[in-house]
Amino acid sequence: MFETYIKDYNEAVFDIDKETALEVVESALQQGITPEQVVFNIIIPSIEQMMALIEKDPDTNLAQHFMTAQIAAGITETMLTKFSTPPEVIGRVIIGTAYGDLHSLGKRIVIGCLKSMMVDVVDLGVNVKAEDFVDAAVEQDAQVIAISSMMVHTATGEDGSLRVRALLNERNLENQIKLVVGGAPYRFDHELYTKAGADNWAADGVTAAKIISQLILEVKAS
Amino acid sequence: MTPLEILSAAVNGQPAPRIPIFCNLLDQGARELNLSPKEYFSRGEYVADAQLKMLKRYGHDNVWSLSYVGKEAQLLGCKEILFAKDGVPNVADFVIKTWDDIADFEIPEDITLHPHWQSMEDCLAILRDEVGATHPICAYVTASTTLPVLLMGMDKWMELVLAGPADLRDELVRKCSDFIQQQIPALRAAGANVIVYSTPFGSPYFIPKKMISEWSMPWMQRDLASGVGDVVYYCGTAPYNNIVDLAIEQLKVAAFYLSPLDDITESKRIINTRGLTCGLIDDIKMIHWSKEETRAEVKRIINIGKNGEHFLFGTGLMPMDIPEENIHAMLEAAFEYGRY
Repeated sequence: MFETYIKDYNEAVFDIDKETALEVVESALQQGITPEQVVFNIIIPSIEQMMALIEKDPDTNLAQHFMTAQIAAGITETMLTKFSTPPEVIGRVIIGTAYGDLHSLGKRIVIGCLKSMMVDVVDLGVNVKAEDFVDAAVEQDAQVIAISSMMVHTATGEDGSLRVRALLNERNLENQIKLVVGGAPYRFDHELYTKAGADNWAADGVTAAKIISQLILEVKAS
Repeated sequence: MTPLEILSAAVNGQPAPRIPIFCNLLDQGARELNLSPKEYFSRGEYVADAQLKMLKRYGHDNVWSLSYVGKEAQLLGCKEILFAKDGVPNVADFVIKTWDDIADFEIPEDITLHPHWQSMEDCLAILRDEVGATHPICAYVTASTTLPVLLMGMDKWMELVLAGPADLRDELVRKCSDFIQQQIPALRAAGANVIVYSTPFGSPYFIPKKMISEWSMPWMQRDLASGVGDVVYYCGTAPYNNIVDLAIEQLKVAAFYLSPLDDITESKRIINTRGLTCGLIDDIKMIHWSKEETRAEVKRIINIGKNGEHFLFGTGLMPMDIPEENIHAMLEAAFEYGRY
């Protein structure tokens, strides 16, 4: 039953057709599907299918990634208010753009996907100091720090993720807080994340949500 | 032949001693003159001086009149730029904060009277006098479908484009296109002889091909109504091989500055003799490459593109962290392997 909804929903998202995607969800609710089932049996599997598709099809575009995240986040937010009991989150991530970087699109895509996957997201905004990332991660008991950079100098500069890595090392936090980076420069040099001191990276916002979720589970299991 | 003649020969497929070699050294100018970026970008004379000094030192073919991309936003009302000691300046004040601001947003009646235009004109005047007869002088123009990114931020613009009212979206694009229709002739009049037309929303990396065809292309035609003979199609290093046919047919553009992520063999096959294929090195990798790795990549790109002429070797935005020895290695290899 859910397969048809997932297929129809993803076709609409892929066509950047928000209205039809919302109609699919509304139709499911009218057919007696619960808000919990909408999130766990339609939205989350749809995002996972989209992640698999993006990995196989390099020709997917930023517009599709953006709408995947925005539509899913909007629906999930609405459904959560209708849950019979509060859902259990899988973990927490601190997210922001690197110090000196004011570009927020990639971050917004990642946040949308993560929220839909039941990850608690603390968004520090743009132009975030390294100290603020680490302090927030400790205070909020987060498993992952995610840093987005649109420009080379904010990706590899000494005030960005390299400084976060140094702070995690100084404070002996490297086993309990993992560092993920993403953004345009990393797409051009796939090894750049290691030079930026990160544990992992993602080529796009949707895939980033998958990698962050995996790292959260790894940290919690260790 | 002069670099300008070599470029012309490459565009037209005529004999030349070598391929054209473009190297985009923008943020390096402040370091060249030992100035802070804010001070450096405050005067067009500084930008021109640094461009000419770097041209002499490295020997590539082109100079730039561009200070930074946010200049266009400043011409349209942006009040704050965030300068960085080690990279590209950012727009820190968005002129359009909410959709309601679009109705009140106005294009200056004459952009050449704007204080921020003066520094570009000063820069171009020097470059034109010094090397205008011999070298390509590049100017940068952001397409009307992309310019709103500088005015309201990428995520807000993406939201309006994909899920907002089409009439509001197009009202803003029309105003931006009006600006470009002033900007391109003014840049030409001031001395620019290569217009690098940056159109990320003309790349299928950003939006679907269907949307490019039905929405972006008509606006691009309007932007470029004053002529395309000196226009280079560029998508901000986003790949766009499968849009080239459309751009040739609908825009009549004949120069394509591709992405390092495009397959250059495929680019060359598609463009063939219909225009100039500009093959780019992945200059972000040059930060960490050795001289030998840099040379090998230059050789690979030029070996693909050089045959059949109609080819230019170029760089992306050349991050400041690239070691100077790699810049020299890249250019030495380009001149060596680019000979006919």
